[in-house]
Amino acid sequence: MKRLIIYLIALLPAFHLLSGCQKNIEASSGTVKITFRNTVNGSPLALNSQIYSNPFNETYTVSKFRYYITNVSLNGPGGVTLKENNSYHLVDEAVPTSLSFYFETTENSFSDLVFTLGVDSARNNSGAQTDALDPLNDMFWTWNSGYVMAKMEGNSPQSTVVGNKIEYHIGGFTGANNVLKTINLSFPSGKLATIKKGQTSEIIVEADLNTWWQNPNDIKIAVNPVITSPGVLAKKVADNYSKMFTIKDVTNF
Amino acid sequence: MKFRIYISILLLFAGAIVTLEACKKAANNTNAGYNPTYLQLTIPAGWPTPPTDIFANNKLTEEGFQLGRKLFYDGRLSKDGNFPCASCHQQFAAFATYDHPFSHGFDNAFTDRNAPAIFNLAWMKEMHWDGGINHIEVQPLAPITNVKEMAETIDNVLIKLKADTIYTKMFTAAFGDATINSQRMLKALAQFMGSIQSYNSKYDKVKRGEASFTIAEQSGYNIFKANCNTCHIEPLFTDNSFRNNGLAVDPYLNDFGRMKITGSPADSLKFKVPTLRNVELTFPYFHDGRGFSLSQVIDHYRTGIHTEQTTLDPLLKNGIAITPTEKLDLVLFLQTLTDNVLLTDKRFSQPY
Repeated sequence: MKRLIIYLIALLPAFHLLSGCQKNIEASSGTVKITFRNTVNGSPLALNSQIYSNPFNETYTVSKFRYYITNVSLNGPGGVTLKENNSYHLVDEAVPTSLSFYFETTENSFSDLVFTLGVDSARNNSGAQTDALDPLNDMFWTWNSGYVMAKMEGNSPQSTVVGNKIEYHIGGFTGANNVLKTINLSFPSGKLATIKKGQTSEIIVEADLNTWWQNPNDIKIAVNPVITSPGVLAKKVADNYSKMFTIKDVTNF
Repeated sequence: MKFRIYISILLLFAGAIVTLEACKKAANNTNAGYNPTYLQLTIPAGWPTPPTDIFANNKLTEEGFQLGRKLFYDGRLSKDGNFPCASCHQQFAAFATYDHPFSHGFDNAFTDRNAPAIFNLAWMKEMHWDGGINHIEVQPLAPITNVKEMAETIDNVLIKLKADTIYTKMFTAAFGDATINSQRMLKALAQFMGSIQSYNSKYDKVKRGEASFTIAEQSGYNIFKANCNTCHIEPLFTDNSFRNNGLAVDPYLNDFGRMKITGSPADSLKFKVPTLRNVELTFPYFHDGRGFSLSQVIDHYRTGIHTEQTTLDPLLKNGIAITPTEKLDLVLFLQTLTDNVLLTDKRFSQPY
């Protein structure tokens, strides 16, 4: 009787293996969590309710704020690079679960976060996509195939269009209209994301929406309340917003 | 007691076997009954290889084709149910809109441009008169969501499809499980549209040695080859380029064509060179349907070109010299491009 129970217990790990559908258990390791915090001039972004002021003293509210973070990789001292597979994320201020994403990594130390702001040319060119790239997400131009890489909408008394709307849908992936930006963020000095087996390291990235208006290109609401097609203006906004990210913190749990 | 333990062991083994089977299925990403019939696009003899394989990431199957066919004819893809894809793309008009400069859309709207014919799309790299669409799979998003056309949201279309058990079955047959999403809907539509081909006109039969031109048709063919074949290149009868053919700007439409897509003034007034296959049935002509007959279109090239336009195609700066007699023969030749096999093929007709 006792012997039977012992056999049963001895067999349990085997059942566990069979039922898990796992192929490479030995690769299981630590987790990187990347969290985006959207802000305006250092304060957390509050959709609709808060009135903000841009560098030209134009006031505005924000109703939508979304952008694509893709092809994420982590670099470490000594040339270590870890690339996330199938790396396409839509960060949407209105969807709290979209503000963080996770991926598994082997034990390593990392000092830099690198990603593309926008969707690479290949995925703009290869037909119907799904998940983060699903056209349902309202980030795909139906009349001029391609993704809106980043989107900000809201209202401003300085806007001259109907309803005092402001709309910035920034995209374009070909030739002179390409707005894809590679963002390379070094962690604050002395900080490393040290990935340990079974543990999580969190990298907090702050995105300051107020960077969209200036440096190097002045974008005034009174002049350009709406930019919704690829071209020179979209490129100017993208040059500005490419500076919106900073690493706020790196924590190893 | 002993008996109970034996039962527990048995159950555990049974459970393990079931999960093992489930794992196998997950790995193959198919269910046991998924066994589609694979199809292949026909490349007619002497035709160029398509610029890209439109089915490279969308394996063409009978089940996918039939799902796409049902979707193409389903009014539920439009807001009020009245405007399936087929309302503007009619088989008897080679999948253009017969006798309409602009097609009718939701809420009594007219479309902004003349509906293009749908066939031989595997050879077309960009769709729309301005080339704004870069892949056959994303093409349907434009008419479905355009407020002047089908005026629906993709979310709503999917809600309607998911409520219909016939679609559950057809998506399962086409893709291996019952998931209905935008990607699968678009891939199925691409399978249907991409399979519509035209290569059985009298012209094709003459080329294959199965028929011969009349004297007038042969004369028209010679005139065609001497004057039209640079842009309307055989056998597709288009080079799929964008050109300004010197039409006056309509002050109401103010349509500057490809410039809207590229933002480049060099592309002002450029529109895609349309195929001349089935041209007898795709009237009215040009991007805004201003040409009601082939005779009118040829007259534009003879005497109507606006040579003052800076982006005018250099080939047209002196017009095209065609005599009135030649014009008649040319029209007779163009009529040999009508493909009755395409127009009546039951595989492409309304499925119910």
